Amino acid sequence: MRYLEWLFLLAVGACGTGLANFIGYGVGFLESLPGLVILVIISMLGVACTKCIPLRLPIVAYCAIIGLLFACPLSPIREFVITSASKINFTAPFTMVGAYAGLAIGDQLKAFIKQGPKILIVGILVMTGTFLGSCIWDSLILKLSGAI
Amino acid sequence: MAKKNETYAYPSLGERIRTEWKIYLLAFVFILIADSIGKIEIPCGAGKFILFPIFYAIILGVVSGPEVLKIVESKQVKAASKLVVVGIAPFIAKLGITAGGNIETILSAGPAVLLHGFGNLFGILFSLPIAILLGMKREAVGACFSINREYHMALINNIYGPDSAEARGSLSIYIVGGMVGTIYFGILASAVAMTGIFHPEALGLASGVGAGIMMASASASLCAIYPESAETISTLASVGETMAGITGIYINMFLAIPLCDRLYRVLEPRLGRVARKTRQGEGKENV
Repeated sequence: MRYLEWLFLLAVGACGTGLANFIGYGVGFLESLPGLVILVIISMLGVACTKCIPLRLPIVAYCAIIGLLFACPLSPIREFVITSASKINFTAPFTMVGAYAGLAIGDQLKAFIKQGPKILIVGILVMTGTFLGSCIWDSLILKLSGAI
Repeated sequence: MAKKNETYAYPSLGERIRTEWKIYLLAFVFILIADSIGKIEIPCGAGKFILFPIFYAIILGVVSGPEVLKIVESKQVKAASKLVVVGIAPFIAKLGITAGGNIETILSAGPAVLLHGFGNLFGILFSLPIAILLGMKREAVGACFSINREYHMALINNIYGPDSAEARGSLSIYIVGGMVGTIYFGILASAVAMTGIFHPEALGLASGVGAGIMMASASASLCAIYPESAETISTLASVGETMAGITGIYINMFLAIPLCDRLYRVLEPRLGRVARKTRQGEGKENV
């Protein structure tokens, strides 16, 4: 995607997030605006990273790292970033993702049903095992390293 | 749509908007509906299950699709799948900011953060034996080595080839994960939290399974269950997800797939016989 396309789509997404933040949590759009702008800027920097850095990291990894750098104690704009972003409720950007994700799997419903119960069981087990396994593993390391 | 697929999906931004405007509009309508309904909490024993607006949005999306209400066509469905990452990027950026604001939480979790990605390997032990017992063959290797999101599928296609049984298995789980994964991870995280065995820190970190939307769903549930640890949970979920993304590709390539392959070779001759016997017992033929 071109930068312009990313910017446009991110702006559409930001409007959706702002809307969700207003309807779901009563935060006015103008109040959300600085936070939304920051999230769009970080995402655009993430896009630039995927285009310029030859590592094959997903864009979300860059977004997480850049977001962290923006808000870390070394950042000169730390306070502003954290305060603005805190106006955006945790789950507000999430509804838009769900809308896209739901639309994106709209043509897989028949394929899903055709998979049959076996695959569903295996899928559930894979997800359960991955999460539960991580819980056990992470607990173990956290305990061993004395973090909890 | 397939005309200029090599470099850009659309010749211009205008062309993109002309194709996709209906998706944007529907997304806004879904947000209006879903966030008006809001969160629904269902108390259950010591804990609770939480239904988030995203769940309703997903269901509305599927229902609008070409196989039910036909509000959107296949062309737009294809376009929407590219938009998911655009939606998730700002969400992850927001989590990154939370993580930056709580950097001491990350530092104190230190080694656990670095090693987090290996926890996903346990999924293989959990699912592969049962997949074989259910009678799956080489498909099981592709199905069980990971939660099978896009990059996992790309990896499997790369190693075994797109026409292989392994790739078929991977695709099957990809479809299941897309259909039920987000909702299931929200429920799963609540259920695991309810056992009270794990600290919120571990639960938060474990939410980073290597799929943004599933991490989001799990951590949203956990934050609602442990409001006093919400910052810690979302911080660790974010770094867990980032680590899973960075180390995941290598862990999958060099550990998960070979491990799954090896385990299949060891287990299939033993467990596969059980599966075949059961099937023959049912069919009462071909001894």
